Amino acid sequence: MFFHILKPIWKRKFKNLLLSLEIMLAFCVVFGLALMTTRYLQLYHLPTGFEYQDVWSVRMLSPGEMNPKNDPAVTENFQRSLAALPEVEQVGFINYSPYSNSTWSSDLYLPDSKSEYHVNMTEMADETPTLLKMKLLDGRWFSPEDEGRPERAIIINKRLADSMFPGKRAVGQLVSDTEPGSKKAQLLRITGVFEDFRNKGEFMVPTNFSIMRFSRASEERRMETVLIKVKPGTSRAFEEKLSHQLKLIRSDWGYRISPLKDMRQSRIKEDTVPLVILAVIAVFLLIMVSFGLFGVLWQNTTQRIPEIGLRRAIGAHSGHIYQQIITEQLLLSSIAMLTGMVLLVQLPLTGVLGEAINWTVFIVATVISMAVIYAISTLCSLYPAWRASCLSPTQALHYE
Amino acid sequence: MLKNYFQIACKVYMRRKLFTAINLLCIVLTMVVLLVVTAILQTTFYPTGVEGKSERFLQTGTITQSSKNNTMRSPLGYKVIDQYLRKMKTVEKVAGVTGPESVSVYQKDSVNEIMMRRADAEYWQILDFKVLSGRVPVEDDVRLGRFVAVINESTAKKLFGHEAALGKKVNAGSQHFEIIGVVEDVMHLNAYADMWVPVTTFPSSQYRDQYTGDFTAMLMGKSAADLPLIKDELLQVVKQINADEPSHWEHTYLWADGKLDFFARNILSNDEVAGSGAAQLLAGVVLFMLLFMLLPALNLVNLNSGRIMERAAEIGVRKAFGASSRELVKQFVMENILLCLFGGVLGLIFTKLALIWLSNANLVPYMKVDLSFMVFVYGFAIAVVFGVFSGVIPAWKMSRLDPVLALKGTA
Repeated sequence: MFFHILKPIWKRKFKNLLLSLEIMLAFCVVFGLALMTTRYLQLYHLPTGFEYQDVWSVRMLSPGEMNPKNDPAVTENFQRSLAALPEVEQVGFINYSPYSNSTWSSDLYLPDSKSEYHVNMTEMADETPTLLKMKLLDGRWFSPEDEGRPERAIIINKRLADSMFPGKRAVGQLVSDTEPGSKKAQLLRITGVFEDFRNKGEFMVPTNFSIMRFSRASEERRMETVLIKVKPGTSRAFEEKLSHQLKLIRSDWGYRISPLKDMRQSRIKEDTVPLVILAVIAVFLLIMVSFGLFGVLWQNTTQRIPEIGLRRAIGAHSGHIYQQIITEQLLLSSIAMLTGMVLLVQLPLTGVLGEAINWTVFIVATVISMAVIYAISTLCSLYPAWRASCLSPTQALHYE
Repeated sequence: MLKNYFQIACKVYMRRKLFTAINLLCIVLTMVVLLVVTAILQTTFYPTGVEGKSERFLQTGTITQSSKNNTMRSPLGYKVIDQYLRKMKTVEKVAGVTGPESVSVYQKDSVNEIMMRRADAEYWQILDFKVLSGRVPVEDDVRLGRFVAVINESTAKKLFGHEAALGKKVNAGSQHFEIIGVVEDVMHLNAYADMWVPVTTFPSSQYRDQYTGDFTAMLMGKSAADLPLIKDELLQVVKQINADEPSHWEHTYLWADGKLDFFARNILSNDEVAGSGAAQLLAGVVLFMLLFMLLPALNLVNLNSGRIMERAAEIGVRKAFGASSRELVKQFVMENILLCLFGGVLGLIFTKLALIWLSNANLVPYMKVDLSFMVFVYGFAIAVVFGVFSGVIPAWKMSRLDPVLALKGTA
């Protein structure tokens, strides 16, 4: 049966070559879209490691300085004056806000070896991790007891802990943020391991993350952002009051206030734009392909009416014809997609796109895009097949 | 001869209306997507309206400073604009403006987030804003540091509803401005913002001493012919900046570019070389368009090769009477181009509708893209390329038919 169907396909190889090339291209487009969507969904369901609800971020811009100095008195004043507002539950400093475009990445070293670990970093004050409701897996958050120690306190995420200290407990270990042997080597003591902190939001690729302790009293550089946990139900109108309060502390600074909820919203919008554009283009192309396929199949069946008549005359009934046309089309699609798969499977094998393509995503995307192409092929061959199967043998044999 | 081809083509296309419709639909869909992209690129690279003078000015937005293994890129500081660029001999006017930054506007019971720029007086002379009411800031407003603001139409509506905005006070980022003008909404690189205030209203005057900050500059010459001179002079000025800058970087780079170059340099981040890579960018765009055309073209090839068989008898007769393969190829490609051109015209109409929809849907704030004459020209070119692209293979196959078999209809 299989070879019977393969034979007519092979007979018209040039035409079928072009047709399968088209199906293959369409498959690749759908695959790209499915891959991206699955990856996004996968990322979306990973925990971000913090809660954005009722947290506002205030960026404090002092004019003119590249590396603004930390004035302990001013920082303490911010902490106390803001916490004194009745709407405010908690106040915590961070060097850049979650959902912002900033990234700070650096390398961490084990003190006794040269191996380096690329990490994304941020600095937080003692209050900030609890303010963001981050999940602690081991050890403890920073606290005032870290003040004045020779090693600066640092907490790292599970991913980094697993890769830096496989099989060992990370808490209490020492790491360095400068290459071992360099003069100003600074040692950092790991006090805790947290679940994760994907500060770019739901669509951020999980990375190694570490958070250094910011000490309000002794740090040299000041933090640019202060996070404020407000009471649930506080409306945006609080912003003016907050702004007024901030101006009372330092009137020459500029303040940019925005709830994390809004920042998250615009972040998500920004992240999904490429997906939406790709989807629109893919839909356009698919519409075109299905029209084209429909037209080609129609023409093919018209040309093959004498052949179909012959089959009917020697006893095939209309169901057989129906079956033949649809199977032929599905077989052709399968061949095209197999060729496409041979090319596409190189992506996870060679790992060009890194972590963006893992096997789960790849397989889900393959299934989805195959289903879409099979559905289109079947839909497009239904009507031509039905038309061909309706012909009576006498009509078909006389057709010229 | 052409007339004959035309008549045959029309006859053939009218004979099988369904297939012609499918063909046309594919062509129109492809054309609409490509033309919308072209129209958007055209408005970005060759704007009319508010940035209509762009062939007369160059813009510069990034200063790149580097030493051995350290590189810093940043927008310009006002000192560079005021102390260096303004003193150039070849320029007629230099405008400095900050990038749009979001500020909160506080009103009695609401807070609105809007984009604000701080601009100098020349900004208003280089860009042709359409003033709907009031006026735009003049030299004196900027020099004296008056707290005046210009807002655009949508912002006026958002803040004050139907009341007249002129003369109202607004509290933006805890500074109080009086509104002196309302301008039309615009979406262009240098013009986009919701609110503009004089540069001198910064809370502190530190911005005057900065080499890096958040400014971009526009350098306008007397005519387009001055632009190469400006670029040459700028090279000297940059050397001076490099010598004066207190942090003593080894190299400083600052390029003034036309629109296309400006985008190319930013996208390809060619910060340390004179060439902007515009050719590279354009090649990329064209390649992308061709790739996008590949699938619809294959589609058309498939449809067309099927239709040859219907015309086997006609081809047989023509061959028997001595038509060469080349003539037949020519005829078929012509027919295909004709169909594509017709599809192109329809495509233009639908593109117009799509652009109207895009402008109203507010996907990008204030975006107004319209068809221009150049887009018509590009549309024509795209249609011809597409026609040839999708017509050659079926035509070549057709011309190889054996006339004897073709006449018998058994080919």
